[in-house]
Amino acid sequence: MTEAPRLTADWFDGRSARARPVEVWLDGAALHFGDHSAPLAGLTWPERQRHGQRQILLPGGGLLSFPDAAAFDAWARASGRGDSVVVRWQQSWRLSLLSLVLLVAGLAAAYLWGLPWAVDRAVDVLPRSTERALGEHLLQGMDGDWLKPSRLSAEQQRAWQLRWSGVLARAKAQGGPVVPEHHEIHFRDGGKALGPNAFALPGGDIVITDALLDLLADEPDAVMTVLGHELGHVQHRHGLRLMLRAGAVSVVASVIVGDFSTLLSAAPAMLAGNAYSRDGEREADLYGRTLARAGGVDTSRMAVFFRRLAEKRQASVDNNPVAIAISTHPADDERVKFFSEP
Amino acid sequence: MLDIDAAAPAAAPQPLPAAPRVLEIRFTGSGSEYFRIWAVNLLLILVTLGLYLPFAKARRIRYFYANTLVDGQALSFHGDPWKMFRGFVLLAVLMGTYSGAGRFSPAAAIVAFMILCAVWPALWRASLQFRLGNTSWRGLRMGFEGSLKEAYLACVPMYLPLLAFVAWSRLAAPHASGDPAGDRAAFAAYGATSLFAMGILAMLSPLSFALFKRYQHNGYRIAGQQGRIDLSIGRVYLLGFKLVGVAVVSMVIVMLAAVLVAGGGVFLFGRGAEADSLWARVAFLAVGLVVYLLVFSIVMPFGAARMQNLAWNATRSDALQFQSRLSFRKLFGLTLLNWTLTGLTLGLYRPFAAVATARLRLETVAIECSEDPADWVAEENAGHADATGDIAGDFFGIDMGL
Repeated sequence: MTEAPRLTADWFDGRSARARPVEVWLDGAALHFGDHSAPLAGLTWPERQRHGQRQILLPGGGLLSFPDAAAFDAWARASGRGDSVVVRWQQSWRLSLLSLVLLVAGLAAAYLWGLPWAVDRAVDVLPRSTERALGEHLLQGMDGDWLKPSRLSAEQQRAWQLRWSGVLARAKAQGGPVVPEHHEIHFRDGGKALGPNAFALPGGDIVITDALLDLLADEPDAVMTVLGHELGHVQHRHGLRLMLRAGAVSVVASVIVGDFSTLLSAAPAMLAGNAYSRDGEREADLYGRTLARAGGVDTSRMAVFFRRLAEKRQASVDNNPVAIAISTHPADDERVKFFSEP
Repeated sequence: MLDIDAAAPAAAPQPLPAAPRVLEIRFTGSGSEYFRIWAVNLLLILVTLGLYLPFAKARRIRYFYANTLVDGQALSFHGDPWKMFRGFVLLAVLMGTYSGAGRFSPAAAIVAFMILCAVWPALWRASLQFRLGNTSWRGLRMGFEGSLKEAYLACVPMYLPLLAFVAWSRLAAPHASGDPAGDRAAFAAYGATSLFAMGILAMLSPLSFALFKRYQHNGYRIAGQQGRIDLSIGRVYLLGFKLVGVAVVSMVIVMLAAVLVAGGGVFLFGRGAEADSLWARVAFLAVGLVVYLLVFSIVMPFGAARMQNLAWNATRSDALQFQSRLSFRKLFGLTLLNWTLTGLTLGLYRPFAAVATARLRLETVAIECSEDPADWVAEENAGHADATGDIAGDFFGIDMGL
């Protein structure tokens, strides 16, 4: 029988801080150190690394300390202790770089296929009432920050509401698309920050800004088409999808980027929102056009809307060097054609 | 790296000199090695859909501990990743419920916030108990002795205004009523009082910070050595005011520099028609971002360096006296380098940055010791975390990071 390889270690018993030099060797299922021994199953072995000290943690709080890491690694190998798969990957540049590549590939796959799938399932499961509570909460938050009460008089607001319900009634009579059970138009002053704008929140709250109604005061058909488009977002529950996606992406990003910067971890979430919303915009355009046409609206008036919007954007860019309009909407020309085609 | 490799084994077996001596702290971790550990950990976290997180954390702590040599002896981490897993699930559920509730209804958000406030000091204490109770040096477990009551008391100056503000803002938040003039006035009043409440919180934050540090440092223990901190609240306030001053001055300087650069650009390239182009605006935004990051890279290291020195230089025990000489200039240079390289490499530099920061912050601390630590003996009742009687911290393995 060959002698088991031995190594000297500093033994700390967990009670006294004095190091006791001992000889350490492996024998079957036990680790012997000096006059003592411990079953291998109860030990915590150190992982092989190039730097740092090696310590074997003993059950009951003591430990064996090996200041010479290289000698420990040689002894462990000679004693028949192999490295775990994780350690082998960690110690190899090739395998650790491969794991980064796999990580990126995995993230890309999760983003392209896993995320939309998971979001769709989550949207199916979440009840409409939850979505509505979420939307109301969002609107409340925005009312504090970006939105001010509308400058429109009560009669003006009522007139727009009447016109909209007229379109919906006609569309229903004409067999137009299904309208979501709950939705509500809110008039708000979005100030300079939002400009002429309309957006749908999860749960059916649709906000339309004074600036948009000013811009299209003489083009009610365009306003109705815009509202139809927003109703499309409500019907397809785009707001909820967007929030779930952005939430999931920011969680993953914060795990990877960690505490480094909220700026960095917010960026992927924002990009995700943008990339996804293009398909959503087309879906909402189609819904809005179908609904508005069924309600007797001339959707080709959207051309006027896009032209005025472009003029206004140009003017604001000329006046303000910081304003860069990064639109999430598909190119204007394409959409003008879409709303005008028979 | 070679000198460290050679020095590490040589340092340990030296015969210990006479009792009053300085325990040097050295950090021998390597960025390139931690990079590989980090890469494999990330892959495992992804493959397990996040469940590997506590195991990755335990491995990270073990690596950093094995490379933190105090007087030639490394720290060891005894935490059981499976226990950390329980704590991880508890924290994940808690934080998930909290952030979820906030999105769905204001009432649920208040309840969730109150619950979080109510349990946070207990979690904080539990995490300190877990981390220290599972850290040992020379086989001696450290410990955390801060009581639950003190944890809550330390949070009072932060909680009282915060709770008042949250309750008030939830109840008094204006809703559009339809009357434009009245609504505008309500919004304006709401904005002003929010600002006022934030101001009060900011004024109280140095006090809170001092109380947090006092609670932590008074609770640290190893063998018979119980930490004592003599941290005056006035000095923390002084640091707070200096921090504001540094922020203002650096903002002015950095912005002046940016204006000079921009002016130089206009002077060199002229201000033709293309100056209004998209590229000019992108450049403007980029300069703004650089200004923002530069100011942060000055203010954050300043606060971190001064606070580390302030807190640790005021900390001692019967036999130990801590000395921290972290220089702001070095930490600033390192932070700037770390941020730049992390940004340029899309985050790949992060593990290198973590190792470099740990090295700088640890190696500037020295411990004067009037006894020979080898004579120390663990206290009878202070054995191991699972024997301290407080199950919660150890059962859930809560580790929020120190």
